[in-house]
Amino acid sequence: MQGPLIDTLARQGITRRTFLKYCTTLASMMALPPAAGLAMAEAMAAARRPSVIWLPFQECTGCTESITRSHSPTLEGMIFDMISLDYQETLMAAAGHQAEEALQAAMKENAGKYLLIVDGSIPLDMDGAYSCIGGRSNVEILKEAAAGAAAIVAMGSCAAFGGIPKANPNPTGAVSVSDIIKDKPIVNIPGCPPIPVVMTGVLAHYLTFGSLPELDDKGRPKAFFGETIHDRCYRRPFYDQGKFAKTFDDEGARMGWCLFELGCKGPVTYNACATVKWNGGTSWPVESGHGCLGCSEPDFWDAGGFYKALSVPADPLEFGAAAAVVGAGAGVAVSFANRAKKRAAKAAHQTTTLADLEK
Amino acid sequence: MSLDAIPIHVINAPPIEAGLTGNAPPLLRELAEQVKRLLATGEASAIDLSALPLTPADLDWLREKLGAGEISVTLQANGESTLNETACPGVWWVTHHNERGAVTSQLIEVALVPELVKAHPQDVQIGYEYLELVLSDL
Repeated sequence: MQGPLIDTLARQGITRRTFLKYCTTLASMMALPPAAGLAMAEAMAAARRPSVIWLPFQECTGCTESITRSHSPTLEGMIFDMISLDYQETLMAAAGHQAEEALQAAMKENAGKYLLIVDGSIPLDMDGAYSCIGGRSNVEILKEAAAGAAAIVAMGSCAAFGGIPKANPNPTGAVSVSDIIKDKPIVNIPGCPPIPVVMTGVLAHYLTFGSLPELDDKGRPKAFFGETIHDRCYRRPFYDQGKFAKTFDDEGARMGWCLFELGCKGPVTYNACATVKWNGGTSWPVESGHGCLGCSEPDFWDAGGFYKALSVPADPLEFGAAAAVVGAGAGVAVSFANRAKKRAAKAAHQTTTLADLEK
Repeated sequence: MSLDAIPIHVINAPPIEAGLTGNAPPLLRELAEQVKRLLATGEASAIDLSALPLTPADLDWLREKLGAGEISVTLQANGESTLNETACPGVWWVTHHNERGAVTSQLIEVALVPELVKAHPQDVQIGYEYLELVLSDL
């Protein structure tokens, strides 16, 4: 199905206003100025559908679940109408050799032009034998598919940073996409799972501007990963006022105060949960009363207990108000106690136990 | 689905003022600047509320201060959208919902008419062709 996108959408009964509304929301989520929605709608309406190949490696399919069961079905579904998804094992009807043939055909037809999406890490130990598709190792398939790709999107923390498969002691020798592929532009969209709209945002950017969005030093789109959870958190003012929940059921927790002392990793985690939210904008971890786990940062699984307060208050320079100093003081006290515990745990090669999680 | 469907009873609810962060009042100043710009140059602008750290109490405060105006537009496009003029003409409170009624984005637009309300020339052309067709059948 070729031709401008707006025609494809019109055939499915999607009106221009629906599309403009979608683009407004997308622009808002991409932290573009509100007026950019109009520009995006015009550019994307005229765009043609690029070929997309999606390779699943050492993963739990959580990333695919996140995308396909996201938001209002038509919102992300719409962007899938904008691409030609030529290979996606979980979603495609074909199986076995037919599926692999479809992959080969798509790579050949669109050589040098297709967008490659990868979810899951790639095991390198035992010649990659830990994860094979159709008798071929993940690393072999990745190298072949990457050779003809215009760009690669590493979807989820596993593809972006190695994720849970790479967690200590990394039994399969798992690595990220960027550990293997060095000669192609790679966009990392970490998160466990990643936020669906980041994926659609990257696709929209690719369709609108014909290029990949601006990336940070870890290869993540700045539009979504430009600020920490903490900086965009609606509970941030309570942090500044030194108002902290000390347990999950105390007065502070009921008042919706900051979860820093309960181990929230918001201050060191770059992601868009605080603004985009989850489950169709219903809520997000901090709003439901639980600290951020830091799932979009490298090695989050091995970064110490989820319920241990961070060692250093973020941005100590920003503390000016007297009230804030109280908060910083409390944060430092907790962090000193935890740092000592962490050192002891490290020395003893202690694994995280249920007792650690309960703090 | 709205959260009202879940029968939760809040015991010892904190006072409403507890939810105010003090982040809303500066937005009124920004709005004033944007309205001034609209008057001077005709340039439309918007404040994206979903991208700011505002609590529900902050939003209620802001909505109450801006008040309700004469026009409210309802758009049915992949879920309902409401574009309500506030007590300040040219300042619109815009809320986009998805098909299940959840808010997907919320903005305050400063414009004579929000872009979404205007008809696109290409769509007008399609409408015109339809009219021609109806006329030819008469």
